Amino acid sequence: MSVDPDYLALLVCPISRTPLRLDAERNELISDAARLAYPIREGVPVLLVEAARPLAEQA
Amino acid sequence: MTQTHDMIVRRQFGEQAAAYVESSVHAGGEDLDWIEQVAARARPAHALDLGTGGGHVAYRLARQAGRVTASDLAGEMVAAVLATAEGKGLANVAGEIAPAEALPFADAAFDLLACRFSAHHWRDFEAGLREARRVLASGAPALFVDVVAPERPSLDMHLQAVELLRDPSHVRDYRVSEWIAALGRAGFEIRDLRSLRLRMDFPSWTARMRTSELHVAAIRSLQSLASADVAGHFALEADGSFTIDTVAIEAI
Repeated sequence: MSVDPDYLALLVCPISRTPLRLDAERNELISDAARLAYPIREGVPVLLVEAARPLAEQA
Repeated sequence: MTQTHDMIVRRQFGEQAAAYVESSVHAGGEDLDWIEQVAARARPAHALDLGTGGGHVAYRLARQAGRVTASDLAGEMVAAVLATAEGKGLANVAGEIAPAEALPFADAAFDLLACRFSAHHWRDFEAGLREARRVLASGAPALFVDVVAPERPSLDMHLQAVELLRDPSHVRDYRVSEWIAALGRAGFEIRDLRSLRLRMDFPSWTARMRTSELHVAAIRSLQSLASADVAGHFALEADGSFTIDTVAIEAI
């Protein structure tokens, strides 16, 4: 199930409160500020820190 | 036991999503009519149903708002709400999973917020109210409906005890005086406050939460030993059914 892009644009990272970037390939919402990837499960974004995947430090 | 409060909430409600979508206590009521009336007056562009549960507020708001966001901590609840909204032909409902204490929205993102029978589950009531204030535009209506505890300690304690036995994720039914004080601290100004009594049918009240037989027996035992004051206030019935106090608050 895909998520409405207009809706995704309304969501922010609950930690940094900065915009999220959709990674369509991995079906994740990326918080560049918090270095976290939040999953989208069955079309529902999961904005839980404990469910997020930590991103590797940028070089 | 190493489960966090949020994990317990998700377990309790995730498994019971369908029961909440179908629950007659949750699907109807004057408080839902009141929420829809306020929404009809406000005609919000974007409304938030905070702690959507079975989605009953979201379905009502969807008829009056440009767009509705249904937020809940339990993913199964949100998925069930979105599927039900689609089945009702409501194309303007979206949803996400987040705790009330850390909402994934920008400041002033909404121009109406409704929160029904949710706050008594929050890990941090005051943080949730502060988040509600933050994501709501200045001057926009916030509607809170919840079970409230009587002001008298003996009645308050009975209510919390049976609530906790029924649902291990129960935190607290706040007193009206606690609601008023906490809303003030969060930056809300109360515009309207109304009280309603709600009868809880014991068999469906416990079945909805899959309360264990042991806990059902403990609730029945507490009820059988209750003082005349307690039995009178809650209008305790022979089968364990009882009547609770709820409050509906409009704040800005």
